[in-house]
Amino acid sequence: MAKWGMVIDLDKCTGCQACTTACSMENNTLPGESWQDVLFYHEGEYPSAQMKWLPRPCMQCEKPSCVYVCPTRATYKDEEAGGIVFVDWNKCIGCKYCMIACPYGVRFYADEQPLVEPDIRDVYPGENGQMWSPPYQNPEQDWRRGIGIQPKGVVSKCTFCHHKVSKAPDGVADLDEDDPDLVEYVPACVRTCPPKARFFGDLDNPESNVNRLIGDKHGVRLLDHTGNRPQVYYLGAGAGIPAFSPRKS
Amino acid sequence: MNVLNALINRRRFLQVTGATAAVAAGGVGLQGFSPAAEGQVGRSTSGNTVVTKSICHQCPARCGINVYTTNGRVHAIYGDPGNPIANGKLCPKGHLGTYLLYDPDRFKGPMKRTNPRKGRDEDPGFVPISWDEALDTVAERLNRLRESGESHRFAHFYGRGWGSSDAGLYGDFGKLYGTPNSAIGHASICAEGSKRAKQATDGNNSYNAYDYRNTNYILNFGASFLEAFRPYNYLMQVWGHMRSKSPQTRITTIDVRMNPTMAASDRYLMIKPGTDGAMALAIAHVILTEGLWDKEFVGDFRDGRNQFRTGQSIRPARFEERWTHGIADWWNEELKDRTPEWAEQITTIPARHIVTVAREFATTRPAMAIMERGPTAHFNGTYNGMAIHALNALVGTMFAEGGMFYQMGVPYGSLPVDADDYMDDYAREMQGKYPRIDMAGTEKWPMAGTMMQETAKHHLAGDPYRLDTAMFFLTNPIWSAPDPHLWEEALKDVFIIETSPYPGETAVYADLILPEHTYLERLQDSPTYPFEGWPMTALRVPAVDPVYDTKHFGDMLIEIGKRIDGPMGDYYRELGDVENILRHRAAGFVDNPGDNGVNDFESWKEKGVWYKKPYHWRYWRGSFWEWDGEGYNVEMSEADVGEKLLRTPTGKFEFKSGFLERHAGYIAQEMGIPENRVGIIQWVEPVHTGGGDLHFVTPKTPLHAEGRSANIPQAQAYMQPIVGGRGTCYLEIHPDTARQRGIADGDRVRISAEVRGERKSILAVARYMPAHRPDTLVLPMEYGHWAQGRWATAEGRDIKPGHSGDITENLSDPISGLASYYTAKVTLEKA
Repeated sequence: MAKWGMVIDLDKCTGCQACTTACSMENNTLPGESWQDVLFYHEGEYPSAQMKWLPRPCMQCEKPSCVYVCPTRATYKDEEAGGIVFVDWNKCIGCKYCMIACPYGVRFYADEQPLVEPDIRDVYPGENGQMWSPPYQNPEQDWRRGIGIQPKGVVSKCTFCHHKVSKAPDGVADLDEDDPDLVEYVPACVRTCPPKARFFGDLDNPESNVNRLIGDKHGVRLLDHTGNRPQVYYLGAGAGIPAFSPRKS
Repeated sequence: MNVLNALINRRRFLQVTGATAAVAAGGVGLQGFSPAAEGQVGRSTSGNTVVTKSICHQCPARCGINVYTTNGRVHAIYGDPGNPIANGKLCPKGHLGTYLLYDPDRFKGPMKRTNPRKGRDEDPGFVPISWDEALDTVAERLNRLRESGESHRFAHFYGRGWGSSDAGLYGDFGKLYGTPNSAIGHASICAEGSKRAKQATDGNNSYNAYDYRNTNYILNFGASFLEAFRPYNYLMQVWGHMRSKSPQTRITTIDVRMNPTMAASDRYLMIKPGTDGAMALAIAHVILTEGLWDKEFVGDFRDGRNQFRTGQSIRPARFEERWTHGIADWWNEELKDRTPEWAEQITTIPARHIVTVAREFATTRPAMAIMERGPTAHFNGTYNGMAIHALNALVGTMFAEGGMFYQMGVPYGSLPVDADDYMDDYAREMQGKYPRIDMAGTEKWPMAGTMMQETAKHHLAGDPYRLDTAMFFLTNPIWSAPDPHLWEEALKDVFIIETSPYPGETAVYADLILPEHTYLERLQDSPTYPFEGWPMTALRVPAVDPVYDTKHFGDMLIEIGKRIDGPMGDYYRELGDVENILRHRAAGFVDNPGDNGVNDFESWKEKGVWYKKPYHWRYWRGSFWEWDGEGYNVEMSEADVGEKLLRTPTGKFEFKSGFLERHAGYIAQEMGIPENRVGIIQWVEPVHTGGGDLHFVTPKTPLHAEGRSANIPQAQAYMQPIVGGRGTCYLEIHPDTARQRGIADGDRVRISAEVRGERKSILAVARYMPAHRPDTLVLPMEYGHWAQGRWATAEGRDIKPGHSGDITENLSDPISGLASYYTAKVTLEKA
C-alpha cells in the first residue's frame, strides 16, 4: 500500500483559497469548517512590510497525537488507506480531546454557532441523521471514515479525499491531475490548485515526484519538533507559522 | 468510564437511522471510474453521474468547467482540462457556482409588482404571473411607445452578458425597434480606461492579449494579477509557470495597498493613488537617458549617439523613428523634465527605486508593462494608462514573443436572417434621431463608448429625455454605480424590468421580474475575452433542467421581439430561438475546424470550446510578420501593419496621439490642457473627490463574484485576505492613522465623503494593517447590499461594512468615461 503524502510549494502558492472552496464543495463542509484553510499573516510596517500565507490541510501525521488521546478509538490512522487519519462518526462522542491534542488546528466541531448567519443548517435541515442536507450534496458517504456530511456532535477533518484517492490504480507513484487517467482520483485541493503548488503521491516510493520535490527543494514539515511527523511537506520560503503575537490596540 | 460508555451508547443509538441511510446513499455514489477516454474526462461508467461542459459566470474570465451531476443534482464543478483558459483548474469562486444554482432566495418564476410606491423599504408586493402575461406586458409597452414615436425612451442595460446568444442580440433589437439605447453597457463602470489608453497610443480600442508564458519581466501597475485581473484562474496558472521556469520571470508590482500580488512579487512599491502616470514617465525618462530603449522598434539617432539628456531638448530631425510616432515631441514637451526625482515628489516612490526598476525593465527581455483599474479609475486615467503603455513601445513588447497583442475574432457562421431586411420606415426614421440616454458618443462624451453612470442624472433632468421603460440584464447600477442614490430616485418613475434570477437591488425597484436561467441552466456561447490572441469561443451547455420557471435571456429578447408589431416580429419568428442562433454560428466551424476537432454544433457541445492557434502576427527584430499557415513567413508592409496591428492615424505607436488631437478642443475644455499639447503623453494631476484627508480604495477580492458572492455563505466565510477577515471584511487602516483619530483595532468607524455637495457616510469595523500606506484606507467592494438575499443582507454577529459606492462621487475620466472609483478622499472617525 502507498503512503500518501502531499507537497505544497509556497513559492508558487498564490493564496487564492481555491483549495479551500474546492474542499468545501467536494466534502460539503459548513462555512468556516475549513478542512483545508489558508491562513494569512503580516509582519513589519509600510513601506517594507511582508504579507504571507499558509495553506493548511490535515497533516495526516505518522504519529498523530489526536489518535493517542481519543477515548473511543473513533479517530484512527489507517495504514491500509495510505496512512490517512480518519474519524469514525459512528464512534465519535464529540469530546474534542483530539482537537486540543492536534498541534495544527485542523479538526472541526461544527455544532457551534454558525460563522455566517443565517445558519445554513436551518436553510437545509438535516435528513437521515445528517447535521444538514444541502441539495448539492456529494453522493459519496462513508461515516466510518468521516466522509460525507456528519451527524451532530462529532469531529470532522480532512480525509485526503479518500473517496477519490482510494479508487486510484494500485502502485501509482503520483496522482497528477494533468494525467487524464488519474484526474478523478486526485484530492480536490490538489486537483484545482491553479498555480500547481500542490502535489500528491506515494512517500514510500523513492521514484515518486513528491519525494523528488522534497529532496530537491528541501521539503520541511510543520512543527516537526512535536514528533508528529506529518505526511504533508512544504517547499519554499516562509514554510513556518509565525509566533503568535497579541494585537496591539 | 461509565459516563463515556453511556455517551457511546447514546451515540450508537442515535446513529442507527443515520448509518443505515448512509449505506444506502453510498450505493449510488461516484463509483467505478474507468480510465477516461479522450474528451470524456470523468464520465462515470455507472451512468448516474453526468459531466457537462459549461462556462463559469462569476467574472469575465470565461473558464471552461466540467459540471458533475448525479441523479439530476449538480454536486461538483471542476475546471475543464480541455479548455485553454481553465486547463482543469479553477479559482476559489468557480467551485461555489453550485450555490448560485441552488440559491434558496432565487426568484421562482415571473412576477409583477402590485405596490405602486417604490423605495428601499417598500415591499414591491410581487405576485406570480405567467411568462405569456409577462412578455405581453413588455411588448404592449414597447408597441405603445413605438406608436407614439417615443421608442427611444426604452433602454436596455447590461453587464456580464456575452456572445451572440444574449448581449449579441441587442444591436439588431435596437435597430429594428428604433432605440439608440440597445444597449447601455457597463464598461464605463468597469475598466474602460485601459482600452482608451491603448486606442490613444496603438489604435486598438481593446484590452490586450498577453504572452505571459514567454515573458521574463512584468512591470505591473495596479492590475491585481492575483486577485481580480482576468482571467484570474489562468493568471495563477501562468504565475506558477513564470515562477518556476528558467529563467524565472521577474515581477515588480506597483499598487496603492498591500495585497497578494504585491506580496508574491519580487519587488513591491506602494504608490500614492492616482500617480502611476508620473512613475511611468520617469521610467521612460531613465530608459531614454540611459539609452536602453529598443532601437529596432523605436528607432535611433541618425548618428547612433544618445542625445537624450535631462532637461535638454533634442532636434527632431536627428532621430529616425521606426514603428513609433512623436518621440521627439514627447521628449521635448514632457519627458525631458520627468526625472525620477521629480516623480518621487508626486508618487512618494524613492527616485532610486524608480531608476532600478527602469533599468531592470528595459534590460530584461521580453518585458511587458501591464495595468488595469488601479491607474485608470481616476480623472487622469487615460493619460496614466498611456504613460504605462508607452513603456511597452520603448522596450519592443508590442506583438513580440513574450509581449502583448490584440484578440482575434471567431469565424462564426451568419444568422439565418439579416435585420436590415426587416426594418420598417419607422425604424429607419429613428436611426440617429435621438442621442443615447447616457450621451456617450455625443459632444458631451465624444470619446466614451458608454456612460451608464450618467443615466440616472440625465433621466432626472429630462436631458436629453426621460426614460419610460428600462430592462436590466446582469447589471445593478442602483447598487454598483458611483452615487447610487441618484439611481434610486431615477428608477422610481421608470417602468423597470429586471431579469436577474436573484433578488438584487434593481428588483426592489422593478415592476416586472423576468428571471433568467442561472449559468448552469443555460445554452450560451462565449467568445473569449482577450486571452492569448488566437480565436476561441466556449459553449455553455445546460447541466440540469431549469430548477425554476425561468427563461434564457436571449430567448426572452426573441420572445419580446416576436410580439412587436410590424416586420420586427417577423424577424424574430425567423430567428427562432437561441439554439437556432447557435447552430447557425457553429456552421462557421465546418470550414474552420478547431484544434480540438470541433467542427459543428454537436462537437462544440461535447467539447465545450472551439479554438484555433496560432496568433497570426508577430513582431521580430524590427519587422512585423504574418502567419502563412506554416510560419511567420510573410513580412508585412507599413500599410499592412497600420491597417491590422497599429491602427492609429499614423499607423505607428503614437507617443503623440492623433486620436486625442482629433478631440483637442474637448480635452482642453474639460481637462485644462492646452490644445496643442493634448496629444502628448503627459502628467495630469488627479482630481480627488470627497473632500477628505485620506485616500479611499475599494478593491475587488478573489471571492468577489461581481456582487453575487454576497449571498454565498461559503464565499462570505473566506472573504479574506489581507487582514484575515472571517465572515466579514474590515476597513484596513495603518495603526498610526487610526491612533491619531482615537480608533482602536476593532472599533466601529464612520467613513464620510462629500457626494454632490452632501456629506455621506458608511460604517465599518477598523482593522489595523501596518503594511498599508498611512494615507490610504482600504475597504473591499463587496458588502453593503440592501438586497440580494438572506446572507447578503443579514445582520449577524459579524458587522458588515457599508457599501463603498455610497460615498463615491460620480466623477469620470473625460476621455475614457471610466468612473473614478479609486479617487475619493474621505474623513474617518470613531463611530
